[in-house]
Amino acid sequence: MAEGMIKRLGSMLENKEISCTELTNTYLSAIESANGDLNAYIKVTPEAALDTAKAVDEKLARGEQLAPLEGIPMTLKDNISTKGIETTCCSKILEGYKPIYDATVWAELKKSNAVLLGKTNMDEFAMGSSCETSCFGGASNPHDIGRVAGGSSGGVASAVGGNIAAYGLGSDTGGSIRQPASFCGIVGLKPTYGSVSRYGLIAYASSFDQIGPITTTVEDASIVYDAISGYDAMDSTSQGRRGEPTVKTLKNDIKGMKIGVADEYLDGVSDEVRSVFEKACEVYRSLGAEIVRFKLPSLRYALPVYYILACAEASSNLGRYDGIRYGYRTANYKDVNEMVCKTRSEGFGAEVKRRILLGTYVLSAGYYDAYYKKAQNLRGSIVKAFKDAFETCDVILAPTVPMTAFKKGNAISDPIETYLTDICTVPVNIAGLPGVSIPCGFDGEGMPIGMQLIGDTFCESTILNAAWQYENAAGAEVFKPSAYGVKL
Amino acid sequence: MVTREDVINIARLSKLYIAEEELDEMTKAMGDIIKFADTINVASEQGVEEFDNINNLKNAFREDVVVPSYERDEILKNANDIDEGHFLVRKRV
Repeated sequence: MAEGMIKRLGSMLENKEISCTELTNTYLSAIESANGDLNAYIKVTPEAALDTAKAVDEKLARGEQLAPLEGIPMTLKDNISTKGIETTCCSKILEGYKPIYDATVWAELKKSNAVLLGKTNMDEFAMGSSCETSCFGGASNPHDIGRVAGGSSGGVASAVGGNIAAYGLGSDTGGSIRQPASFCGIVGLKPTYGSVSRYGLIAYASSFDQIGPITTTVEDASIVYDAISGYDAMDSTSQGRRGEPTVKTLKNDIKGMKIGVADEYLDGVSDEVRSVFEKACEVYRSLGAEIVRFKLPSLRYALPVYYILACAEASSNLGRYDGIRYGYRTANYKDVNEMVCKTRSEGFGAEVKRRILLGTYVLSAGYYDAYYKKAQNLRGSIVKAFKDAFETCDVILAPTVPMTAFKKGNAISDPIETYLTDICTVPVNIAGLPGVSIPCGFDGEGMPIGMQLIGDTFCESTILNAAWQYENAAGAEVFKPSAYGVKL
Repeated sequence: MVTREDVINIARLSKLYIAEEELDEMTKAMGDIIKFADTINVASEQGVEEFDNINNLKNAFREDVVVPSYERDEILKNANDIDEGHFLVRKRV
């Protein structure tokens, strides 16, 4: 089985096979040659990266031990606030905005000398499933640059899949970590709501948003999750991690583990995805786990519930963009109201406007009960259905996306069709559960297929353990490096 | 059914201008999305309870103590226009 980039680079640094400065320069050169094709990075930060690398080399020269993520070149999605470094959510409306504070996750990683190579591409305000709503144009899939990297954390997935970052942090509101990880053949973990601080994550839909890692292996995801999870007084929904670090139980035996497969998750998935998924179930059986088929009928309402509630929250969250305190401001206006309206109309892209309008509609007098309130109550039913499911199984296994990465340009033509591709990922966000997407095969054209393990709240250890066991058993068959990036 | 007037009204509430030539397209898009959202209205309300929040979250309060905050100049750095420590919106025609 392939070793994760974090583990591999960490031991290279410890064994002095390469200095952190050399390693950082290797990644910076790889970005320079690959980013024209991948469009993963929208901003590269070489000076700060090399400064950090120097500090790591000095530490190594003093014979000090490195922390697990120390000196490892990485990236952040452009909605994670970085003090003094432009953070735009890939929207014209945040043009030139430089946060005056760091997001908690980045502050934590910075303390342990994580080498930030730059900020990565995303759908504008994380609203999209292909990265193509970005004002910088979409990121490409490292396995076929004619296809999308997925979204909304498409830039991170393209960078990690194309090895121009060893790992990255994305955010997942309706699948935005897991879906691009699946499309790019890598690992993406959406943690339990509240286990990773959202402080400094620019909000899309606050009751769904969660930051998580995108990595090359399950073990790497576990290392990053252990580093970024925890209680934060700056996030009023913070709960912290429960229990021991997940790396401790990662390699445990899974004999007797009950893995639930809900029929509804397999409705409408492509034949190739289904056949690869069924094979993965066989692998689990061979590892001694029991596959338990069950039904989850309330999933039928998951997509409309998600779009109603997420857009309602977005319409409120995005009310702050007024051109007064930061970001873009229109050139000519008669009064404050016109300035705000023109700024917003010129600054937001079409998909963001659509979602603000939908959110305002479902919250407006006359429609609130029929849409927002009803969707909120159905959210409760979905939460309960998952709770009941976890009475009979330890984890749930499902495809991550019903299909593989689509060709560029196909997603934006029909918004509803695009929304439907999120069918397997949104339920996890609705119920605040953890989910990890891992590679499990390829389609006939060599594009990666992913599947996700879903756990009860705060059961990251269980899903990562089950994911690691599959990855270990499936071996090299499910992982194929792309032609891009650093080759060591 | 979403009408042009609905879209104009919602856009006004959202502080967005929709250009006249974009209005038909936006009305159709909104109509399609609302039709899709309407699928929740076939769900039975039997046994469905009022929902508060996921995971029984409790607000994570912190001690109410005064701690150093940001300097005014730093906060104003990202503004387009400022004057004597204030955000400014000038009249510009």
